[in-house]
Amino acid sequence: MITRRTALTLLASVALPSITFAEAPYFATDVRLGNLPPLPERLPRNPRVIDMPALGRTTGRYSGSMRMLISGQRDIRLIPIYSYARLVGYDADLKLVTDLLASFEAVDDRIYTLRLREGHRWSDGSPFTAEDFRYCWDDMMNNAELYRGGPPVDLIADGKVVEFSVIDPLTVRYTFASPMPDFLPKLAAPLPLILFVPQAYMKQFHASYQTPEKLAELVEVNRVDDWQSLHAKMVRSIRPENPDLPTLEAWRPRTAPPAEQFVFERNPYFHRVDQIGQQLPYFDRIVLSVASAEIIPAKTATGESDLQANGISFPDYTLMKQAEKQHPLKVSLWRRTQGSSVSLLPNLNCNDEVWRKLFQDVRMRRALSVAINRKELNKVNFFGLGRESADTVLPESQLYRPEYASAWAQYDPDLANALLDELGLAERGGGNIRILPDGRQAGIVVETSGESNLEVDVLELIADHMRDVGIAIYIRSTQRDVFRSRAMGGEVQMAVWQGLDNAVPTADMSPDGLAPTSSDQLQWPVWGTWYMSGETAGKAPDLPEAVQLIDLLQQWRKSTTTEQRTEIWAQMLTLWADQVFSIGTVNSAPQPIVRAARMRNVPEDALYGFTPTSFLGAYMPDTFYNARE
Amino acid sequence: MSNPPDQANSLPAPGADMQHYVSDAPFDPYEAENAASAQSKYAQASQLQLMWWKFRKHKMALYCGVFLLIMYGSIIISEFLAPYSQGARNTDFIYAPPQAVHLFHDGKLVGPFVYGRTQVLDMDTLQRIYTDDPTDVQQLRFFCEGDDYMFWGLIPGNTHLVCPAKDGQFFLLGTDRLGRDVLSRIIYGARISLTIGILGVTMSFILGIVIGGLAGYHGGWFDAVTQRVIEVLQSIPSIPLWMALAAIIPVTWSPILVYIGITVILGLLDWTGLARGVRSKLLALREEDYVLAARLMGAGSGRIIGRHMIPGFMSHLIASATLTIPGMILGETALSFLGIGLRAPISSWGILLTEARSVNIIALYPWLMFPVIPVILVILAFNFLGDGLRDAADPYT
Repeated sequence: MITRRTALTLLASVALPSITFAEAPYFATDVRLGNLPPLPERLPRNPRVIDMPALGRTTGRYSGSMRMLISGQRDIRLIPIYSYARLVGYDADLKLVTDLLASFEAVDDRIYTLRLREGHRWSDGSPFTAEDFRYCWDDMMNNAELYRGGPPVDLIADGKVVEFSVIDPLTVRYTFASPMPDFLPKLAAPLPLILFVPQAYMKQFHASYQTPEKLAELVEVNRVDDWQSLHAKMVRSIRPENPDLPTLEAWRPRTAPPAEQFVFERNPYFHRVDQIGQQLPYFDRIVLSVASAEIIPAKTATGESDLQANGISFPDYTLMKQAEKQHPLKVSLWRRTQGSSVSLLPNLNCNDEVWRKLFQDVRMRRALSVAINRKELNKVNFFGLGRESADTVLPESQLYRPEYASAWAQYDPDLANALLDELGLAERGGGNIRILPDGRQAGIVVETSGESNLEVDVLELIADHMRDVGIAIYIRSTQRDVFRSRAMGGEVQMAVWQGLDNAVPTADMSPDGLAPTSSDQLQWPVWGTWYMSGETAGKAPDLPEAVQLIDLLQQWRKSTTTEQRTEIWAQMLTLWADQVFSIGTVNSAPQPIVRAARMRNVPEDALYGFTPTSFLGAYMPDTFYNARE
Repeated sequence: MSNPPDQANSLPAPGADMQHYVSDAPFDPYEAENAASAQSKYAQASQLQLMWWKFRKHKMALYCGVFLLIMYGSIIISEFLAPYSQGARNTDFIYAPPQAVHLFHDGKLVGPFVYGRTQVLDMDTLQRIYTDDPTDVQQLRFFCEGDDYMFWGLIPGNTHLVCPAKDGQFFLLGTDRLGRDVLSRIIYGARISLTIGILGVTMSFILGIVIGGLAGYHGGWFDAVTQRVIEVLQSIPSIPLWMALAAIIPVTWSPILVYIGITVILGLLDWTGLARGVRSKLLALREEDYVLAARLMGAGSGRIIGRHMIPGFMSHLIASATLTIPGMILGETALSFLGIGLRAPISSWGILLTEARSVNIIALYPWLMFPVIPVILVILAFNFLGDGLRDAADPYT
């Protein structure tokens, strides 16, 4: 008689005849005791096989714990980004490949058919099927109590909501009314568009599936106001604070906050294996310790972290390099993918009437830009290793043109003075600082999140450059969360942030970073909210160039060929460069990556950024391992 | 006989002759008069003079006082003393270590000079490495023309006590991450850090004497209310309170206004101890006969407090003030260290120390911690000075 278990084993061995699976020692006891099915039954029938030698990597071995440092407990959100299990994801060459999906089909960039892996399971062993997508669509996005504004704007094309259908238990289809070219890139994002949730677990928190009494009890126990917040709290996967929530990522959380140490352990049902049948990830556990941001470099340099990229920055490189001699660690320099490692964002929506008018005037933005001596910034802060550039795409991108990088990025204080004089700021007062039309001193308060010394150092130099053209710069550090809400409220005059998030785009990636599309864009948070909220909150942009960028973005959305998209990207980049909406300084800045000396498969040189590489995610930290000593 | 006889052991036997003792010290017939005149020198000396005589004997306090005078003297002419101007940056010499001053080159006396340095970028560790070039002798210049400055922000000038050779560099205490001379910044920082103590103490003095004086002299409900207020103020932990008050100072204020604001904050919080001291002294003194006499003669309370009572414990006040100033200096340093005190471009010792707190500095560029030294020295000096003053304050004991 063939039991279900053996049948699955047989199927698996049929699908992958050459692989014999090797159980991780971490689960050996559980499997022997019968708490956990053996590895072949835990894997999908067709797991994603990572061929290490083909990737230029070495085949690893099951390794113990990997220690990392985080600056606060909210940073546990880094783990789903590092783990980077997505329906589709970027590989190390920034090509889209299927990951959770077995395959997908896109017709005219409009009809997307997604096919799941057979036998794929969540980390609690429940099956991952089309039902998880249906629950997310029907019971969440189309539940007026959970999603008051209806499905997210990412699923609305041309004003029409996407049409969702379940083809069979492993296949779902999303049909858009008009082309949706960035649907797949959004699924591959570090914070992806969420299309599925573990319904088997989540149903207990949903009013349609749970008795009101039990639900009321759960609301009570979890100390929330109503079942909507309960559901939202339990389903949150961006910050894995709920250890019971099943996941598809490589590591699942084992610690609920608040805590000073967070442990993640390997997901027994993770869908990737290496070519010799070892289940990934190689590391059994990730142990995150919370340390204050200022101590992270010191702790890293004394070997208290096995893999560290967040919390250390370029100025720490020398220290790490010296620490290499005393501690078993290795440091390499990656290149950051931001359009600018530090960029100034004049808030075109700020409350201050006078400054808002000035910032909306392109001459003001250009004047501020040419007043900056980028060569000095590069020399002082980056050893001259960065590239002096406006905030734009990097030469690594096929969309790059030299004129984008050089636009208004020259050092020309005379031009800056001329432009400022032209703006009616010719009069100077005490300290040779210009006088605003309303009689105030032309002082700009620049706010930083205060998380990196680099920002403050660069700002101090910029403050000197600006003083030379009669603009006073005051630096204020604000906590990141407060900072965002202050920016939204228009209280921030000018912000310091990194430049374009993704400065190595292809034409098929959305150019939405160039247009007011998100409240996170600190140069126009109010206009961004307008777009993000589906024109229900915030204000419509009234600056012609900003409107034009939105129009171009809409054209890109409707485009069907890569040529069209390249053309639209070029127009947007030209406009962006000419208008200096973000004042860039230096880009391609090196980012130190510190790892334990015996850790393998960590690339020596790679791109480091939020999008598209998801920090380390695209380089698959699940393939990292400790070599034998 | 040159020694007085030992009385205890050589009492004459009963009936024996008494032994004679003759002092061989020279005879001075005016001894009594001389002693009286020496006493009258003390008797006639003013209180200040007496204090000075007594203070002079406390050598440590004396030296510390001289040291502090020199320090305070230096802030008058900071611009002249500092080899570089306050904002001067040299991006060719970032994180340059301190330079040694030499006198002899090739066995010949050249006078104070430094060797020129060449910078090599170590592209492996990304560190700037400076090596002395033993052929490049850069003789220091004195009373020379260097960076331009505005003396006290008013008078343009460019004379410095010491400057590097033309086109040369002289960083006695090294440079920071923007290539600024640490020594110059310490000298400029002294101006802020030292005066903030004096101004703050002046302010807390005025408040303390007025409020404490009224409370002590009048007593009654005013006394009760001020005592409770003081208790409340003293029970609030000082650093969070400073932080709250410092956060109120708008970021757009000019550095000078911020400086005054910080001084006011420090002064506003520091008068309580003094007010208590004044009050308790006054409570005791107001029962004295001479106060009663003054009152009977029709003096008002202002005159009685100011003219008759305060001089009675002025010495005590001076001593306690010298002990308060270091607290103020440390207060400013703490506030600036936390990033809520003074701001660039003003430099104070607190600001310098803030910049030196990262682990990189401690491991790689330790000379940026030099500002700790003047802080420690000044605080210690004030404490020794206060000690001496307290001893000298009551010369009659």
